Amino acid sequence: MIKMLRNLLVASTAAGLAVSGSGVADGLLNAEALIRQQQVDEVALALSNPGVHPRLGVPDFVLPQGDAKMTDIAKTVADVLWDDLNFEREYYLIPRASSAGIPVTPVASLPYAQWSELGADVVLHGNAYVSGQSLVIELRLVAVKGQTPGTQYFGKKYQCGIQSARGPRDCAHQIADDFHGEVRKVDGVARTKLAFASDRDSVRVGGRPNQTTGKEIYISDYDGANQVRITANRSLNISPSWSPTGGLLAYTSYSSGYPDVYVANLAQPGRGLLRPAQGSESVHNQLSAWSPDGSMLAFMSNKSGNLDIWVINRDGSGLRNLTNTPNASEGSPTWSPNGQMMAFTSDRAGGMTPQLYTINLTGTGLRRVTHERIDRPTWSSQGFIAFTLGSPGSEIAIWDFDDPSVKVLTGGLGTNESPAISPNGRHIAFVTTRWGRQEIAVMDRTGQNVKRITTSGNNTYPNWQPIPGR
Amino acid sequence: MKRSSWIPLVVLALTLAVSACGKKPPVVAAPPPPMPTPEAFLSGNSNSGTPVRPPDPPPIPLESTVTSAPLDSWDSKSIDAINSAADSPLKPIYFLLDSDEISEDAKKILAANAEVLKTYPTWVITVEGHSDERGTAEYNLALGDRRALAARNYLLSLGIAAPRMRTVSYGKEFPFDPGHDESAWGKNRRAHFMLTAK
Repeated sequence: MIKMLRNLLVASTAAGLAVSGSGVADGLLNAEALIRQQQVDEVALALSNPGVHPRLGVPDFVLPQGDAKMTDIAKTVADVLWDDLNFEREYYLIPRASSAGIPVTPVASLPYAQWSELGADVVLHGNAYVSGQSLVIELRLVAVKGQTPGTQYFGKKYQCGIQSARGPRDCAHQIADDFHGEVRKVDGVARTKLAFASDRDSVRVGGRPNQTTGKEIYISDYDGANQVRITANRSLNISPSWSPTGGLLAYTSYSSGYPDVYVANLAQPGRGLLRPAQGSESVHNQLSAWSPDGSMLAFMSNKSGNLDIWVINRDGSGLRNLTNTPNASEGSPTWSPNGQMMAFTSDRAGGMTPQLYTINLTGTGLRRVTHERIDRPTWSSQGFIAFTLGSPGSEIAIWDFDDPSVKVLTGGLGTNESPAISPNGRHIAFVTTRWGRQEIAVMDRTGQNVKRITTSGNNTYPNWQPIPGR
Repeated sequence: MKRSSWIPLVVLALTLAVSACGKKPPVVAAPPPPMPTPEAFLSGNSNSGTPVRPPDPPPIPLESTVTSAPLDSWDSKSIDAINSAADSPLKPIYFLLDSDEISEDAKKILAANAEVLKTYPTWVITVEGHSDERGTAEYNLALGDRRALAARNYLLSLGIAAPRMRTVSYGKEFPFDPGHDESAWGKNRRAHFMLTAK
């Protein structure tokens, strides 16, 4: 188990490195289980019940005195861990400001009464110390309520690489995902990243009649930290799409004067850029989506003379038109979780109004799913499709196959479009104008807990990285 | 503030255009594209009824009335200079919301553009389709594609050879006017003609 986790973490760290380019192996380096004594009591039952949300406190970690830098790093890890745990809504997190007055003590002398007064059921206690180039954190989930306060439900020792600036945050993300998986059987997304297009750097596109600002592709952590630009071609770059393993990024670039699908290998910045669909001045390919197994790309192309959905193998072979409709435009393809079907928009019903359709990858079984005007469908592995509903005012909505109806998630603040679903299906990133310009926000699948991710420029086409190493 | 600054500009432009034409007539008698009436701009039909709102400064005259350079002088300029020129001989055409229909006014502009392309038979152009900011980004990419194709196909019908015309859609990504009102939107729903080779 530990070995498996270590491999998984090595893989994710490597992917993170490519983006940050720091060149230092960092984040979580190692993790091993501490001895745990588990009892089946009411707290244990609550912890394992997905419908119950235990009240959790996260105090500062216990640290040897005197190292100010290490104290700051440990505080960052605890703060980010709190945010990560709060994000999945598995626990009711007691605000760290509220618990700041409770003395930080070794686990044996945890002030149960004071935590209990704040309403805590359990406390995530961390004992930290420096070992070589890393910070070791012994993390324990301890009951402060119930029949036997002091009962430990989870214990694990994490070794965090903290040499690079992003090391502490990465480490907290990895601990949070590990903790969610072990205690709640939930696939946390704290390690994942977002990709999006932005004009924030005001990149001037040359040779045009008026001031024209291009867009480049950016990547950030799932919480908006560490926003990094990954393209620099001074043209229009949109619609990034993460490969299933999270190491490749396909996107649409106008860098040759027309839109084509490019595939960047994030582990080799500036090298190995591929153009599998081989666009040209007359053949334009855009809005690509990876098949769930990473072997194929679907995209919108004008190759047949008007816009259709085309599919191609990753190596450029096997090009085929999935929707051969001479008088209608198809766009925004998205794959079903099993890779056998495609959802997309088509205006074949008339009025230049895009609606939601599905089709088998064999080209059979075409079905119109809804009659509403929609755009940018995204098919979640959790069995629902999110999309932009309506125009020109637009909202984020979902279609649930288990409960087939259109449910609107956003509430009329600005326009809201271009949803991207987190790999665990619990969150949606989207573009909203509610704060003025186009910004990326994330919210829960229910539409609650909207959180702003970007703050500068116009930001569009979010795409959520799959869980690394899956 | 922004609107009031238009009026002297347009008057000056008209004066310049008239005096320039008087001194040195263009080789090709391309009539300046007509200034659309406000209602024509809203409805796309220059013969239809009463104006429904006070006129915005029409977008076309900004470019089309500042025609001081005779056509025969364009060949000596670089592609970038021609594309960046406020008085570029290739004029944009404008569309109604959610429409790729070529209006009567647009047909006149396209006829003038076709004359320019016949004057310079080596010129190759890219027809860019653009939209205003309303509607989703993906929908507007498709709409821009339709607009570019519609403009290209009309030029084709006027005898411009297909290999001389490429198309590309930028959707709502490259607005001509960054504003957020009908005045800006009207200028952004356009097909723009860029010289690609000469």
